[in-house]
Amino acid sequence: MNASDTGSDALTRPLRPYVMPESDDDPPRPGSAATTAEPPRRSLSVRPFLVTAGRVSDDTYLPLETQVVATPEGLADLPTLTFEQHDIIAACQDPLSLAELAARLHLHLNVVRVVAGDLRSANHLTVHAPQVGTANDLSVLRRVIDGLRAVPDSRGFKRDNNSPA
Amino acid sequence: MTTTVLPNPSASGAHRPPLPVKMVIAGGFGVGKTTTVASISEIEPLTTEASITEVAAGVDDLTHTPHKTTTTVAMDFGCITLDPTLKLYLFGTPGQDRFGFMWDDLVAGALGGLVIVDTRRLDDCFAAVDYFENKGLPFAVGINVFDGNLDHDLDEVRWALDIPDSVPLVLFDARERGSVRDALLVVLELALERAES
Repeated sequence: MNASDTGSDALTRPLRPYVMPESDDDPPRPGSAATTAEPPRRSLSVRPFLVTAGRVSDDTYLPLETQVVATPEGLADLPTLTFEQHDIIAACQDPLSLAELAARLHLHLNVVRVVAGDLRSANHLTVHAPQVGTANDLSVLRRVIDGLRAVPDSRGFKRDNNSPA
Repeated sequence: MTTTVLPNPSASGAHRPPLPVKMVIAGGFGVGKTTTVASISEIEPLTTEASITEVAAGVDDLTHTPHKTTTTVAMDFGCITLDPTLKLYLFGTPGQDRFGFMWDDLVAGALGGLVIVDTRRLDDCFAAVDYFENKGLPFAVGINVFDGNLDHDLDEVRWALDIPDSVPLVLFDARERGSVRDALLVVLELALERAES
């Protein structure tokens, strides 16, 4: 994290990069931010959708259960990523749903949607969205039923050992 | 496979994620939705903030035009890895009493729903039953038998809820994993039956 190198005063830390139009590599210095009308503020007080620069949804609508995985490029670039982008890439080295990401990182689901969309565009993340129509796919339904039947109850009995409901 | 990899040229080397599927657990406040999820989830239920649309048909609204607002709510969920290629997510709907609401985000692409009912407060679940009926989502009504006995017989409950015979009505114990599993299977078998027809 190079943010601490650029700012001299801890109370005037740079804003999160997404709040300002500058690139990620060069966090704006508080003193030189003449282009912004907003006074510098502490990042803890940033409201949820400031991290997405006010965007509330990505162009592709991603379901809650969409699986995301960090790409090798994303992991390689991890040291250069900041804040939410960094946290998301670090959290999904193994596949994770958007809902799990949001819960673990304490972020609003829609914030995760937007930032994950950015990371995908930057090739840092692979997004596996379930295909429309999965819910009516007979083979998927049969696999879910078979999988669930094999889940033992708290005494270790599977559904097939039990009396049918 | 039934997942779409969105354009991303260098996805090679990443782990292949499972196909995610989901079911929705609905019902009034305090009927045992989170208990149900916790009984069968392989992780401690997680909570995330999400947006729902409230449809407030207010009493002072003489035009009968529903007034819609988006509200952030906390939503509990859990998951079960059924096999390495298939993962089932269970999302509990946020409990709402006074308002109509839209869980489109939750219900889009769901395999089915389970509406949990506490027989002491039957009317708490009307909104969920109506919603699933309108969406055409396969669902069953599960009566959570907290203490092992039921105040009413099943026919009385069915009559009181005004649900057609095509909607399965099951007794279950939200604290018991096998019981939750069987209730979910009733929903899935209904979904399969519908998809086959």
